[in-house]
Amino acid sequence: MSTLTERAASTTQPRAATPRDAGRRRRRRLGTIGHRALVALLLVYLLAPFVWMLVYSLYPSSALQQASPDLNPGLLTGASYARLLSDSSFLVPMVNSAIVGISTTIVCMVLGSACAYAFARYRFRGRNALLLGMLTVQAIPVIVLAVPLFILLRAFGLYDRLPGLIVTYTAFILPLVIWMLVGFFDEIPPSLERAARIDGCNRLQIMIKIAFPLAAPGLAATAILAFITSWSDFFLAKVLTSTAATTLPVKTAAFQGLFAMDYTSAATAGVITAVPVLLLALLAQKWIIRGLVEGAVKG
Amino acid sequence: MAEIELVHVQKTYGGHKGGAPAVQDLSYTIGDGQFVSLLGPSGCGKSTTLNMIAGLEDITSGEILIDGQRVDDLDADKRDLAFVFQDYALYPHMNVYDNIAFGLRMRKVAKAEVDQRVHDATRRLDIEHVLRDKPRRLSGGQRQRVALARAIARRPAVFLFDEPLSNLDALLRDQTRSELKLLHAELGATSVYVTHDQEEAMTLSDRIVVMSRGKLEQYGTPYEIYHQPATEFVASFVGKPRMNLLPAHREGDGRYAVAGSTLRVALAGSPGGEVRLGLRPEECGLVGAAAVGGAARDAHGTVRVIEPLGNASDVTVDLGPALFTVRVPGFGTVHVGDPVQIDTSAARVHTFDPVTGRRLID
Repeated sequence: MSTLTERAASTTQPRAATPRDAGRRRRRRLGTIGHRALVALLLVYLLAPFVWMLVYSLYPSSALQQASPDLNPGLLTGASYARLLSDSSFLVPMVNSAIVGISTTIVCMVLGSACAYAFARYRFRGRNALLLGMLTVQAIPVIVLAVPLFILLRAFGLYDRLPGLIVTYTAFILPLVIWMLVGFFDEIPPSLERAARIDGCNRLQIMIKIAFPLAAPGLAATAILAFITSWSDFFLAKVLTSTAATTLPVKTAAFQGLFAMDYTSAATAGVITAVPVLLLALLAQKWIIRGLVEGAVKG
Repeated sequence: MAEIELVHVQKTYGGHKGGAPAVQDLSYTIGDGQFVSLLGPSGCGKSTTLNMIAGLEDITSGEILIDGQRVDDLDADKRDLAFVFQDYALYPHMNVYDNIAFGLRMRKVAKAEVDQRVHDATRRLDIEHVLRDKPRRLSGGQRQRVALARAIARRPAVFLFDEPLSNLDALLRDQTRSELKLLHAELGATSVYVTHDQEEAMTLSDRIVVMSRGKLEQYGTPYEIYHQPATEFVASFVGKPRMNLLPAHREGDGRYAVAGSTLRVALAGSPGGEVRLGLRPEECGLVGAAAVGGAARDAHGTVRVIEPLGNASDVTVDLGPALFTVRVPGFGTVHVGDPVQIDTSAARVHTFDPVTGRRLID
C-alpha cells in the first residue's frame, strides 16, 4: 500500500527541467516575438496611409509641404473640417452619398432577404441555375458595363440622378446580399419554422418573427456591407453622374486638380468618407462575433 | 379530446409519378384519449404520417379526420394540436416564458390567461425557475421539458410527439418516459407518438401502429403486437432479444423440422408444408444434452456464444444450418461448446407464410 502511495506521489511531482526543455521554450518565445513583429509590420503597412491622411487633415498645409514636415502638436487645427462641413458644394455630395447608401441598403435588404429566404427554404426547378447566374453577375468587371449603363440611364432619364445610382448599385449589390443571406437562413433549423407553423404563424410571420431575429447578426453584417459598397463606390458614380447627383468619393477626387492640388481638403474629405465606413465595419465585426459566440441558431 | 381517423392516406414525394410512395394506403382510427405510438425503423414513413396529421406535410390522397371533421386541407394551426419535436425546436432568441407563450399570443389569448397557462405548465414540469432563461442556457432535459410545457400550455385536443426522447441520455430518457406516461394519465388528451424504440412504444402506448416501408404492418395493443404479431416483420421488430425466425418444413410424423436441424416443433392446425417459424428466446429453455441422459448426438446444437446480462443470459446455439437464441435465467449453467437441447414446450409458436410474411395461425 505504502509503495503504491509513494509511486503515486512521485508521478505527481513536476519533472526537473532539462536543457532540451529550455531550448524548446526559447524557440517558442522567438516564435511569439516573430509573430508579433509580423503583425505590427502588417498593421503599420495597412494603417500608415490612413494615419498620414488624418495628419494631413489636421495640420495646415504650410506645415507639411516642406522638406521636413513640422508636426508640432500646437499646430493641430480642425479648420479644414469646419470649412468643408459648412461648404454646400461638399455637403450636397455628402447628403447624396448618404441617400444613395441608405436607399440602396434598404432596397437590397428588403428584396434580398425575401429572395434569400425563398432560396434557402424552397426547392424549385432552376434554383441552382438562378443562384449561379447571380454569381456570374459578380464576375463581370464593372468597367465592361459602364458604357451600356450610361446609355441605359440616359435613355431612361436617370443620368445624374440619385434614383439612377440607387438602381445601378442595387443591381450590383443585390446578388451578393442574396448569396450571403442564403447561407445565414440555411443555418436556421427547419424544425423551428415548423414549430412556428403549429404555433399559428403564416409564412410572412415566420420570416419576421423567427427567421429574421435568428439571422439578425447575418442581416446586420450584410446590410453594413451593402452600405459600405454603395457609399464608397467611385467608378460608377463618376460615370453615371456629373453635377447634381455627385457623391462623396467623386467630390473627394475632384480636389485633385489639373494644375493645383488641395491636399488638406482631399485628406479631410477622405477622413469624412472613411469614418462611417470604419464605424460600420467595427459594428459589423461586433455583430458577426456576437452571432458566432451566441450560436443563436443552434438552439 | 379528439378521435383521429386516417382513411386510405397516401404520400408520394415529387409528384404522383415519382418513385414509391413514402406512405401507402394507411387506414386506422386513433381513439379519443388514447396514447398511440407509430413504431418502425428509420425511413418507414412514421414521421411523414405524423407530419401529415399535423398539417406540416400535404397528403397525396386519402383523408384525415379529427372528430369526424376533415382536416387534411386545413393549416397546421387550425387543427388544434401541439407538436413536440425531436430537437425540441425552441426559439433560441426567446426566453422560456416567451417560448411557451408564443403559440398562445399568436392565437390572441388574453394576457392574464397566457400568464396563468405558462405558470401552470411550468409548475407541472418543474421548470418555473428557468422561465427567464434562454434555451441555450438549459440542459437537454430542461429543454425537453420546455418543449413539453409549450405543448401543454396550448391545451390542445391532440398531442403529437416526434421521437422526443431520442436526444436524451439513457437515464434521463427512462425518467422522462415515466413522466410522459403520468402526464398522459393526468391530461387524457389523444396522443400520437413516433418512435423507433420498441421499448418506448410498448411501455407508453395503449395501441401501437407498426410500420415498414411506408405500409401498415399491424395496429393493435402492445399485448397483440407482442403475442400475436401479424407479420414476420412485426415479429422480428418487436421483442428483445429478437424472435428466432427460421424456415421449417413438415416431417412424416406431422411435426416441423426447424431450419433442417434435429429440432422438432409440434404445431396445432395444419399451416402447410413449408412455413417460417417464430420462437421467442425468452419462452424457450435450454437443457444440457448430458443432463437428460442423452448422448451428444441427441443434442439440437452446440453453444456458440453466451452474453450475460446479469439477471439473464442470451445463449446463441448453433443448430448447424442456422443460429438460435435462447434467454436463460441468471448466468446459466451451460458453457461455450456444450451440446444442448432446446426446450420449446413452454413457447408460443408463431408461424408465417414464407412468401407473404403474413401470420398463419392465431
